[in-house]
Amino acid sequence: MVFSSLIFLYLFLPVCLLCYGLSSSLAWKNTILVIFSLIFYAWGEPIYIFLLLGSVIINYLFGLAMGKCKDQKQEKGAKAFMILALLFNLGLLGIFKYSGFLVENLNLLPFISLPVPSLRLPIGISFYTFQILSYLIDLYWDKVERQRNLGHFLLYISMFPQLVAGPIVRYSTIAAEIGSRKVTMTEFSSGISRFVLGLAKKVILSNHLSVIVADFFGGDLSQLTVLGTWYAVAVYAMQVYFDFSGYSDMAIGMGLMFGFHFDENFRHPFLCKDISEFWQRWHISLGTFFRDYLLYMPIFGKRRKYGGLFLVWFCTGLWHGASWNFILWGLYFGIFIFIEQCIGKKKMRKIPLLFRHLYSKLVILIGFGIFYFESLSKLLIFFRRLIGLDGAALTDQYLLLSIRNHIWLLLAAVICCFPIAEWFKKLGNRSVGSAYVFNALQTVCNVVLLAVSSILLVDATNNPFLYFRF
Amino acid sequence: MTKTEALKMLNPIFCEVFDDDSIVLTEETTAADIDGWDSVEHFNLISAVEAAFSMQFQMREVSGMKNVGEMAEIVAQRAK
Repeated sequence: MVFSSLIFLYLFLPVCLLCYGLSSSLAWKNTILVIFSLIFYAWGEPIYIFLLLGSVIINYLFGLAMGKCKDQKQEKGAKAFMILALLFNLGLLGIFKYSGFLVENLNLLPFISLPVPSLRLPIGISFYTFQILSYLIDLYWDKVERQRNLGHFLLYISMFPQLVAGPIVRYSTIAAEIGSRKVTMTEFSSGISRFVLGLAKKVILSNHLSVIVADFFGGDLSQLTVLGTWYAVAVYAMQVYFDFSGYSDMAIGMGLMFGFHFDENFRHPFLCKDISEFWQRWHISLGTFFRDYLLYMPIFGKRRKYGGLFLVWFCTGLWHGASWNFILWGLYFGIFIFIEQCIGKKKMRKIPLLFRHLYSKLVILIGFGIFYFESLSKLLIFFRRLIGLDGAALTDQYLLLSIRNHIWLLLAAVICCFPIAEWFKKLGNRSVGSAYVFNALQTVCNVVLLAVSSILLVDATNNPFLYFRF
Repeated sequence: MTKTEALKMLNPIFCEVFDDDSIVLTEETTAADIDGWDSVEHFNLISAVEAAFSMQFQMREVSGMKNVGEMAEIVAQRAK
């Protein structure tokens, strides 16, 4: 089930909220959330739900065993369980996500011809595995208490707002709220606004931007003009941003409706002035996960600073998919962050702002091209069209027609890359009168955006979130 | 080395990394008190401190330090 579907919007979520609201105790509220989360997951994954449940139970036991060792001051025992847990979780991810890719590449070697496994990727496995790892590592590092209640642990992993496409919620972020929380009307109302904003980003902007991308990149790439290639990749960057940040908005909004406070996952990434800043604003939960659990891994000795950096970017690429283009994409960003590290923040700041913006957007757009083309031969054609090789024309009527036909969509998309909601909110906070006007306007906006999104969803045939495949 | 001595020795490293000579560290100083202390600068800071004191922080320490006082305590215990 996806958030941007009519059945979710008008049946699943309202019924879940109603049952949740009618539940008298927190224990019942948690039970309702677990039941609805399992229905939500089983809707699209009737088989792999057992994988999810199995993983939860085994990791719950790992947590208990590690906690017991900690209580008895048996550090070696705790370490052994931590290693076992890492092997189990990364092994599971490896089997389902990377085994086909690994065998395909092994088969390239002479005298090796292994059958390529074709396992379907369980939805959300990359996200929930990382959530489990964050709990276990924090437990091993004495940052959190072990969770003794299996129901609470199942709720943490399976909670439907963030189960299938993040953000990667740390156990430490919501551990206290699993056991004690309350929903205020103000926060519930903020949650609805945030949810509707995310829905609109996805249905009104991202879905329609994807049509432009398919027009340009879906056909014969050798027909692309230079400006047409730049235009399509810029539109694709905005499509991914509105798709993924829209999903995160909906997740954070629903979290608020149920009394949970998830961390932000995006902070207007295209406003960045360099690549390091871009990654502090884009998919923040993944970046902080790798920063805390991988960057400082002591395996590179005195070269830890740069060894860790490239390991993180290799893993960031690999996490996104079992394909060389994703690995290339991760390392591509790693190289620019390495260069920025070598230059240093002080010298970077001295570069005129305009050049920093131009540099960062150029690097980001080319990065989205690498992200889009999983076929390396197509990626090569993309690069050649970008710089006008093979006799590519600068522009053509097709590009002008596309811009003319989608001018309002493109303008809206560019404007929505800026923090306009925050600007309006600041204006609204200036006085009691302006706050009243802001609240009234926000309500009207929510109703209009929900109505428009719903009408658009009636006709929508294919509406998956891009990050579901990760 | 005492914690106070470590704190005193950390001060010029912070000034260098954050390019700000006005920084005066206390045990309670946190990332919120110093302009530009983000994850990238934290990475540079850790590397600079490790190089200056010929030591290495453990992974759990890097992401778990709540303030400069905790950093000074680790440095005081482990610096060579």
